[in-house]
Amino acid sequence: MNMRDSEIDSRSPIDVNKKSMSLTAAVWARFRRKRLGVLSLIVVVSLFVIGILAPVLSPYDYRETDLTSALLSPGSDGHLLGTDRLGRDLLTRTIYSIRTTVIITAVTMLTGGLLLGPVLGLLAGFFGRWTDVLISRIGEIFSSLPALLMMILINATLDERLRGQIRRFEDWSGIDGLISTGAYSYFLVFGTLSLFFWVGSMRIVRAQVLSIRELDYITAAEALGATPVRILSRHIFPNVAFLIILGVSSALAGIAGSELVLTWVGVGVQPPMPSFGSLLFEGSGARTVRAYPHLLLVPGTIVTLLLFCFVLLGDAINDAYRGD
Amino acid sequence: MTTESATTQGSSEAKFGETLLSVKGLRMYFPVTSGLFVQRKVADVRAVDGISFDVKKGETLGLVGESGCGKSTTGRAILQLHRPTEGTVNFDGTELTELKGAGLRRFRRRMQMIFQDPFSSLNPRMSVAQIISEPLAIHGLYKGAERRERLDYILNAVGLNPTYARRYPHEFSGGQRQRIGIGRALAVEPDFIVCDEPVSALDVSIQAQVINLLEDLQEQFDLTYLFIAHDLSVVKHISDRIAVMYLGHIVELAEAEELYLNPVHAYTRALLSAIPIPDPIVEQTRDRIILEGDVPSPLNPPKGCVFRTRCTKKDQCKCSDTVPVLEEIEPGHWVANCQCCMTK
Repeated sequence: MNMRDSEIDSRSPIDVNKKSMSLTAAVWARFRRKRLGVLSLIVVVSLFVIGILAPVLSPYDYRETDLTSALLSPGSDGHLLGTDRLGRDLLTRTIYSIRTTVIITAVTMLTGGLLLGPVLGLLAGFFGRWTDVLISRIGEIFSSLPALLMMILINATLDERLRGQIRRFEDWSGIDGLISTGAYSYFLVFGTLSLFFWVGSMRIVRAQVLSIRELDYITAAEALGATPVRILSRHIFPNVAFLIILGVSSALAGIAGSELVLTWVGVGVQPPMPSFGSLLFEGSGARTVRAYPHLLLVPGTIVTLLLFCFVLLGDAINDAYRGD
Repeated sequence: MTTESATTQGSSEAKFGETLLSVKGLRMYFPVTSGLFVQRKVADVRAVDGISFDVKKGETLGLVGESGCGKSTTGRAILQLHRPTEGTVNFDGTELTELKGAGLRRFRRRMQMIFQDPFSSLNPRMSVAQIISEPLAIHGLYKGAERRERLDYILNAVGLNPTYARRYPHEFSGGQRQRIGIGRALAVEPDFIVCDEPVSALDVSIQAQVINLLEDLQEQFDLTYLFIAHDLSVVKHISDRIAVMYLGHIVELAEAEELYLNPVHAYTRALLSAIPIPDPIVEQTRDRIILEGDVPSPLNPPKGCVFRTRCTKKDQCKCSDTVPVLEEIEPGHWVANCQCCMTK
């Protein structure tokens, strides 16, 4: 706003009819104009909804085998997308794979991207000194390790132990099915993914906090007698909140992709729980691809679409925030 | 005569009441550290190096000097936003340097600050209403409907329309933002406000409005100001007394009129000669004292008289050995007693 015109009478109206716009509203207004962004948002949201409603939507149980109708082609009677080697409905398996991706990305986002990373970043940036040194060095250690290799190693070595613990937990609590469905392996995947995905959001938040901390409105809050907790929650956090969303939205594809790779090599989500990693593994191999291409094409198409839309969505949110 | 004794100025006592703020021997050093794992102190930036002054109730003390001379640091050290390395800051009988945590936070209600940059001094994610009522929330003042009334009252007092309360800082001009900042400082009913170059970032036409507003508010709310600026004409207008700072030291302190009519220290004279005169003919012919060289680094200030490196008559005295102290050459007119820097 130009100081010169509007200042002569400081009571001169600044267009009272114009609606005051918050940052979120402004970003949303810019985002809405991006066709590709909106399209990918729609795809991501609908895939998430399909994932969440998996038990309702799927025509079969994901464990239900029927060897008499194994390896059916898409369009067969009762199996829209065909069946796999054990006669399990491929549509059902794909829907449940979406659910796996949804659960893994959502939980990793929440723990690593939204909780662990930003909280550590806020603490490191605000308190500085040894808090910062400690957190930053740990972050550097994690980011200097080859993440995927480490995740594979950790999962491979801890899987047996976790399985033992969960079995004991099942005996003790009477809850059943964590092991037999492969659901227990989720915990290991969340754990290792969060372990390596918090560093990115921690760094983004820390850097921003460092620059905000020097601004006059923080000094003003201090001069007003605000407590450190108040300064962090009312003045610093609201000004980094959007960056956290940006960081997380651009990490989504990486998280989903890592889970896929982990499962592909056999240390991620355990069978019979379906995941795109295991579906792609089962569908790949030269002979399988030639004889039953649908085993690779069906999950392959869906997961490519999903990852692609994650990337496009992250880009669109970033652009909208930066004002393009 | 010592620097400390400069705290008993005579002639302004008639006009103003008792001393509100008394600063003695204030030093603010910032450590320079280096080292990979263990941070070792290798040097000090001597931002403020032993200054003393008093501020009386209801008066405005101007603090001038070029950038980097420690004016803002002095303001912040008084408010305990930087904890002073040495010295005492006595505010209405309370020693601020001894206060900590909650005790200090409670005390902050009585002293506030107005900032130079109207853009970085307001949180962009808070509305005007939130910005101005936050201090009330912090100190638990004016609950419920009264707070809303208080907000309108403050907005009116600083010349803003109360209907703007729900708008965000980016919707305002620089001058209006500065008014919001002033409103925030006023909300807790302080006695003392440090104005840290409150008009330097504003357009000239708006500077006058904000200065007038500050003067009106001073009268209305019985405020005491420490007015920091580098623009001498602005300071002359608003100040009752003026202190001139150079490299962390006060070199001259006098009543505003006296300082402008009768500057004694060489630095003050050079500073005053730099004020442009709004008349092209006079402007072309006026005498300017151009100082040679640059301000020395506060990392390694000259020994003795800090002005020594730029003084034209430095050979005429032994100021490299003795540190000058403020001396009262006339009632209420204090000058650093370096023989070669003083012109009589």
